[in-house]
Amino acid sequence: MQDFLDQVEACVPALRRYARALTRNIDLADDLVQDCLERAISRRGLFRPSGEVRAWLFTILVNLHRNGLRTTRRQGALVAMDAVSEPAMPAPQPGHIALAEMARAIETLPLEQKEAILLVALEGLAYSEAAGILNIPLGTLMSRLGRARSALRLATGNPAEPHLRTVK
Amino acid sequence: MSQIPSDRLMAFADGQLPEAERADIEAHLAANPDSAAEVAAWQRQSDALRTLFAPAGAEPVPARLRPRRIAAELGRRRTRSFGWAAAAIVLVGLGLGAGWFARPLFDAEPPSQYLIADAINAHTVFVAENRHAVEVPGSDSEHLSSWLSNRLDTNLGMPDLSAEGFTLVGGRLLPGEPSRGGRAAQLMYENAAKQRITVYVTAALPDRAPAYQFASYEGAEAFYWANARITCTVVGTLPEADMKTVSRAVYQQLTEGDVAWVDRG
Repeated sequence: MQDFLDQVEACVPALRRYARALTRNIDLADDLVQDCLERAISRRGLFRPSGEVRAWLFTILVNLHRNGLRTTRRQGALVAMDAVSEPAMPAPQPGHIALAEMARAIETLPLEQKEAILLVALEGLAYSEAAGILNIPLGTLMSRLGRARSALRLATGNPAEPHLRTVK
Repeated sequence: MSQIPSDRLMAFADGQLPEAERADIEAHLAANPDSAAEVAAWQRQSDALRTLFAPAGAEPVPARLRPRRIAAELGRRRTRSFGWAAAAIVLVGLGLGAGWFARPLFDAEPPSQYLIADAINAHTVFVAENRHAVEVPGSDSEHLSSWLSNRLDTNLGMPDLSAEGFTLVGGRLLPGEPSRGGRAAQLMYENAAKQRITVYVTAALPDRAPAYQFASYEGAEAFYWANARITCTVVGTLPEADMKTVSRAVYQQLTEGDVAWVDRG
């Protein structure tokens, strides 16, 4: 059981990162992670040791987030989220895509595309693992990723010719 | 120009293509600047996303997100909720128990049951007495009548049962249920065969409703009725027909004709 808690602990930074990207709000994100951890730990008996703790945690997080959105929509009280502040560290490839633009662009994606692109691009999960977490076939995942990337290119202002935005 | 499915290009951009297939794509990208530009754009998107959100994963984890702390908290919560559940069970048990033992309070037994029981008890106790069967002898029937009338707060005449072969032995005042006036009068009659009957009278019940009831308990017959003024129970061990005759005489004299005698049974 200690082993299980260690594995969960190792996933917490990734869960926080993913939740932050999904919600764009530090408090909402950490609440989401806390709910996720509580649920996972209280139901650890349901965890199949054959699977990966990380994928299981992400599945719980994604579902909690969706349920939360559904509730918020029902209550009709969507909270306006502050734009994510620019990180202090400079982008590794400055100028390619303005980070603020990307922050706004990711916000405009439909949830299912956002969930997919963040699992793959941000968390670096294998396609098969991401498809498993989202409970969709691999083909569906690929098409969501394709649509997400097209939308992001449109929203970040270099739809056809990325070289135009390339500086230096 | 060879066509590469965009899924495979994306897999290449995401570094998820098997080593063996990469060379093909690289060759393709070298020959197709548009594809290469697209792949580069995707990679920049991923870089941007990581740059935006990686810091969130590098922040120190707040205490409330520590799995061990959560596990401990959940354990405490479980213990607490077990405690509440146990308390609830105990309370429900107490409630059931109290309800069970309080049954007599809630059972809607008609007051006549108590009055008849009291009358039979009093009869059983005092007919067995010889020297102290009564408090005031029947020879002083006028005093007896006014005394008991005052105590019961109602006009109580001594029924004359000479026609039935009974003479008044006397009467006494008895304690009764506080809710039913707190007092009862017992009149005792005796016939030539030394058989005794008693007449147990209380003030009217709060509802003052007329009632009429026969009861039989351990060999004693009881004839009970109630009206707006009094309740009366005639108790004796005579044969039923004789009891009826006596009871009718008592009834007719005590109700002063305000209710017609109904012959039942």
